Amino acid sequence: MTLLTPIIIAGFYGLMIYFSINGASDTVSRIAVVSENKTLTEKLASSKNTSYVYVTQSLAEMKIGLLKSNYDYILYLPEFSLDAPAGIQLLGAKQPSLSVNNKVENDVEGIIGTQKLKESGIAQKDLDRLKSSVDIDNKKISESGKEENSSAGATTIIGSAAGIFMFMFILLYGIQVMRGVIEEKTSRIIEIMISSVKPFQLMMGKIIGIALVGLTQFILWIILTTAISTIAVKAFVSDKNIQQSTTAATQVKTGTPAVDKEIAAKQIADNSPVAYVQKSLASLDITKIIMVFIFYFIGGYLFYSALYAAIGSAVDNETDTQQFMMPVMMPLLLGYALSLSVVNRDPYGDIAFWLSMIPFTSPIAMMVRLPYGVPDWQLALSMILLIGGFVGTVWMASRIYRVGILMYGKKPSMKEMIKWFTYKN
Amino acid sequence: MLSVNNIVKQYATHRALDDVSLKVEQGKIFGLLGPNGAGKTSLIRIITQITAPDSGEVIFNGQRLNADHISQIGYLPEERGLYKKMEIGEQVLYLAKLKGLSTAEATKRVKYWFEKLEMGSWWNKKVEDLSKGMQQKVQFVATVLHQPELIILDEPFSGFDPVNADVIKNEILELNKQGATFIFSTHRMESVEELCDSIALIHRSKKILDGTVTGIKEKYRNNTYWVEYDGNYDTATPSEIFDVLQKEVQPGKTKLKIKLREEKTANQLLSVLLPVVNIHRLDEVIPTMNDIFIDQVKTQN
Repeated sequence: MTLLTPIIIAGFYGLMIYFSINGASDTVSRIAVVSENKTLTEKLASSKNTSYVYVTQSLAEMKIGLLKSNYDYILYLPEFSLDAPAGIQLLGAKQPSLSVNNKVENDVEGIIGTQKLKESGIAQKDLDRLKSSVDIDNKKISESGKEENSSAGATTIIGSAAGIFMFMFILLYGIQVMRGVIEEKTSRIIEIMISSVKPFQLMMGKIIGIALVGLTQFILWIILTTAISTIAVKAFVSDKNIQQSTTAATQVKTGTPAVDKEIAAKQIADNSPVAYVQKSLASLDITKIIMVFIFYFIGGYLFYSALYAAIGSAVDNETDTQQFMMPVMMPLLLGYALSLSVVNRDPYGDIAFWLSMIPFTSPIAMMVRLPYGVPDWQLALSMILLIGGFVGTVWMASRIYRVGILMYGKKPSMKEMIKWFTYKN
Repeated sequence: MLSVNNIVKQYATHRALDDVSLKVEQGKIFGLLGPNGAGKTSLIRIITQITAPDSGEVIFNGQRLNADHISQIGYLPEERGLYKKMEIGEQVLYLAKLKGLSTAEATKRVKYWFEKLEMGSWWNKKVEDLSKGMQQKVQFVATVLHQPELIILDEPFSGFDPVNADVIKNEILELNKQGATFIFSTHRMESVEELCDSIALIHRSKKILDGTVTGIKEKYRNNTYWVEYDGNYDTATPSEIFDVLQKEVQPGKTKLKIKLREEKTANQLLSVLLPVVNIHRLDEVIPTMNDIFIDQVKTQN
């Protein structure tokens, strides 16, 4: 499973990307436009997925003949003034999808807008000049005043991915700890185990052992995923890169000296999207992110797995764990949800700060914050709090664990567990 | 070698052990008896240091019980279990190493025991692939592997068929001959008769009886005999020597349960009967541990 998972994940994403690029865009919606509108003279323009054909039949005639005709939908434009468009209908034998509906709406809005502009005296070519495509380049200014490439997109993706992975890992391995404790209870080996070792040693041994398994898997995943994606990138993107540069190069005026051509080509290659992403990734200091990830994974995992060990010791079988899972998972889930929304939207705000300090949510929140840059003192404080946090939960859990593992048949409840907490050794 | 002094163990809702004291002598087999819920398992858990008493102490070989003694005690709990998906050879090795053996030493001994109990071919089998009886044999090996001085067995024979139970019994006797002391908790009174030197009976958290098996039975002797004969003897006439408690008449023989009077002997009984009937047998009624157990518990109630 360790080796298979990166392949499955890579395949998954590959499929998703493939379909989002290619898949849905092959269907063409053929729309017959019945226009009774004398004021709207602008015509709808067909595009890749929508073809508009202005027909002369009346609406009633079209409706009757729709199923036999080639058309998917009828767009009915009644008479209306341009200031208050109303009564426009999109009719069809089948329900148009949201994207088709939106596209038609946008197109109609577009031609109404264009017509209004024209009637106010603006020429077509001026209209064209209104449109310009804007692409903002992100640059981060470091303390020395130097510029570094940064990319809001890349940062969000990395931060979110780290947050998601953190959540997944802590949950996955925490539950493994719980299952291990329950297995020892149900197989009854627990009694001879603790006649040989102390309960605390047993609990910590299990937690640390599973942590090492988790780390090994994680490192393997990183290595494999990096290897696979580097190969994939080299195979697919370098071709496109070459294409782009060549297209760009041919756009350069013929007759220019060879040197200029080369410089132009190099400039274009440097600004190609892939190089761009690579540069902004570099600016994020990937090594730091991975090191911090490992620290927070260990810390967050220790924090939560101690709680899971305590739950496992309190029950006799896995079904009984449900009632305890909720309160333990809530802060983790909350941290996950809030991190991906609030922290991503405002990584420098108060909520983001507190979420990345409280040990319950800090592993996830801090990982989402990190690519945006976190002052060293905040990072240090958060780490210290997390260490204190897991020392606390481990201590608390061991007091419940040492009693719970020998208790059978009791219906566990929070009150019960608190009682065990206070049992003398 | 083991001294339990005034142990008290209180759980939140009830007291499991109330001022329990007993002594186990070196090299003996000691039976810890009692009804369900009496407190035996609690006491055993205190001796194996799984829990600690609220007051009182346990002295092991002259020292207060501490972590160093873990390697000198072996424990077979009543509720048995092993890691299901682990191979048994590996698992027994692991448990032995937890008790302080080196890998080399442990491997040697595991091989020895597996051969001895005819488990040699099971080394690589997973626990869940074995039957219950086989699992219990594995667990027995794990208990005695590190040659502990004190071996505590809680219901060791439950789950064994008669053949395997016999095998285990012989192992216990052999280990005992080699010097191991046993504490043995069980409900099977026949095994107590066969194996134990001394016993203690725990009921409702208190010790109500202890002593050597022979000593206790001696106390219960009350000069009652069964005598079987054929012929006619008139039991209606009272005798100076004995009283007839029970009479069973069967084709060809009669059985009498008689109790000797003060200072009268069995010989005198025989001299009364011999001239008149053909004696088949004469047995003293010595109560079994089973009877003593039931009697003691009932009295307490």
